[in-house]
Amino acid sequence: MNNKLIDELEALKKDFTVTTDHFIKSIKRQDKIMARSDQRQQREYDELQRKFDEVANLTKEIEDTQKEVVFTLGAIGESRSKETGNHVKRVAQYSKLFALYYGLPEEEAEKLKQASPMHDIGKIAIPDAILNKPGRLDAEERKIMDTHADLGYEMFKGSTRPLLQCAAIVANEHHEKWDGTGYPNQTKGEDTHIYGRITAIADVFDALGSHRVYKEAWDDERIFKLFKEERAKHFDPTLVDIFFEHLDEFLNIRDSLKDIDYT
Amino acid sequence: MENLNLIATKYTPSIDLNTNGIFSIVGKSYPENTFEFYEPMMQWLKKYFSNNTPEKTSVNMEIIYFNSSSSKLFFDFFDLLEENREEHNIEINWIYDADNESSEEAGQDFIEDFEDLTINLVTK
Repeated sequence: MNNKLIDELEALKKDFTVTTDHFIKSIKRQDKIMARSDQRQQREYDELQRKFDEVANLTKEIEDTQKEVVFTLGAIGESRSKETGNHVKRVAQYSKLFALYYGLPEEEAEKLKQASPMHDIGKIAIPDAILNKPGRLDAEERKIMDTHADLGYEMFKGSTRPLLQCAAIVANEHHEKWDGTGYPNQTKGEDTHIYGRITAIADVFDALGSHRVYKEAWDDERIFKLFKEERAKHFDPTLVDIFFEHLDEFLNIRDSLKDIDYT
Repeated sequence: MENLNLIATKYTPSIDLNTNGIFSIVGKSYPENTFEFYEPMMQWLKKYFSNNTPEKTSVNMEIIYFNSSSSKLFFDFFDLLEENREEHNIEINWIYDADNESSEEAGQDFIEDFEDLTINLVTK
């Protein structure tokens, strides 16, 4: 005799088994998916890390190459005009120091440091006869010589790279003067870009203190006197103030990058 | 019944389900809401299997990248195929790039879990 209740319980048991089997399968599957997913994430993260390192290395490589090329370019410009190799290094360091005390952010100061050595790059297009002339240049020669500011600007102005844009400004404006009597555009005061104003004072400070074939190095007192006289004439007064306020730091740079042999 | 065509996006694969029995799912699968994204596909398949189907159904899957919930969804998808395997001649080609270890492993998992389905691992 069939007991209906037993039949129902048997049926429930069967349903229960089917359902629990389904759940177990589902849980096992879920566990498997999780385990796989963990493995995968580990691999992916390792791979990402590897790629990040690669990108960082490549970025550094690009930046280093850029720095080197730019520095070499600057050195070429200087060698053409009989300056010494350390001149561009010192101008670079002075420029950064001026930039930082002037209040430019570190990154921008660093950019200027790298671009300022190219201030004279336009001189590579100046004829040797003028560039290396032993005596004073006559008016016509001076006019040609002065085109190096525009020539340098022309070389870089088309670039969209921040560093080369900075170099374009530096090349173009490093002979402008605070009172508007410089060249090529006779810009006055803050109409001359801060990059130009900084490179101007850094370049002059270094040139005066350096021995050249055509002149002896000026002693410091003479340089300081000139800087005081030229405050707000040739140079941005703020930069002259920075110079005297942090004189020891500028002199330290000069000492650490001395020209070894100039006989 | 009409074919189902979904164009690939940055996060989702292209899905081409043809009533002639050729299906293809190609691309990456890491949608924001996986189950919502695949819902139209699952609905379409249920309808497809309840109709008169062609003699053979070929499923070509080439998934370059997938997240965990997509992996779960593919299991559900294979469940559905498995449920219908007796009345329909179904063949699945799991296509992967030889370098893509994750994809290869997933294919092996499917073979392991769905003994009754014909799943071919096809390297590109």
